[in-house]
Amino acid sequence: MEHSRFNSWLRNIYQTRDEEISCTECFDLVSHFVELEASGEETAARLPQLQQHLNQCRACHDEYETLRDLRRLDDEGGAPSLDDLQDLIR
Amino acid sequence: MLPMSNARTNEQWLDDLRAGGTAQEAAIVDVRNLLLRAVLYFFSRNLGDFGGLGREEILQRAEDCAQDALVAVMNHLSDFRGDSKFSTWAYKFAVNIALMTARRERWKDVSLDQLSYSDNDTPAEWMMWDKSPGLAPDQSAMQGEVGKIIREVIERDLTDKQRSVLMMMVFNEVPMDEVVRRLDMNRNAIYKMLHDARRKLKSGLQARGFEIGETLALFSAQG
Repeated sequence: MEHSRFNSWLRNIYQTRDEEISCTECFDLVSHFVELEASGEETAARLPQLQQHLNQCRACHDEYETLRDLRRLDDEGGAPSLDDLQDLIR
Repeated sequence: MLPMSNARTNEQWLDDLRAGGTAQEAAIVDVRNLLLRAVLYFFSRNLGDFGGLGREEILQRAEDCAQDALVAVMNHLSDFRGDSKFSTWAYKFAVNIALMTARRERWKDVSLDQLSYSDNDTPAEWMMWDKSPGLAPDQSAMQGEVGKIIREVIERDLTDKQRSVLMMMVFNEVPMDEVVRRLDMNRNAIYKMLHDARRKLKSGLQARGFEIGETLALFSAQG
């Protein structure tokens, strides 16, 4: 295992808490989390267990990132149209 | 350029989607449009996952994802608490399905053997990681000690299934959905296994006097 990845894993081990929420609970809360973030609110403080799950779960974190990007595009009003998006697929 | 979501309030979305008749039809068309664009947005940024597929096939996959997401949205309407924009909440379903689809496509040709370790390998062989370069002898010895404790916990304190899942996900970087699919388990069960494994590793390290601050510093130190 490459060194920096080992470091990250070691960090994850030490940041383990006795109780952690599940992926289902994370999914339930993540839209609210993204909305808070879009409003400039302090997300980690408001939803610490969700932040913890996102730190520990790559799959949920990847979904969160994409959701966050989509929410930002909404604000900017500049998301591509269906035609433009389909054109990007080659 | 079009806004991703149109001007309905959350209440209007819920009302229209439950209305029946042409109001419902229009709302369904609109939400499906949102979901399809969310899927295409993700796909267009992850085309590498679809290497083997042609354009039409990818677009068809996107349509299928959007349709599945639409069904999920309609089935979960009563779960919407209004603690986000409706579109943000709806996107979640599209994103979840899009990511699963992309990962499955990317990993479909990888055999189970390639994903895991065989029972014949000793843990020491596959549990190797690089030590930091240029360490002082005592630091090197301590890194070795940490490695030894981790190997012991993995070999001795984890169940066979926990060990297998840990090796796949942490060492071989197999994505969770792929592990779910191959081992026919669900995501929560996998997460719980990994959580339990982490707890055992953490207490194993702490029991031997390796507390967080100095241990992380030990591994962060670069020569």
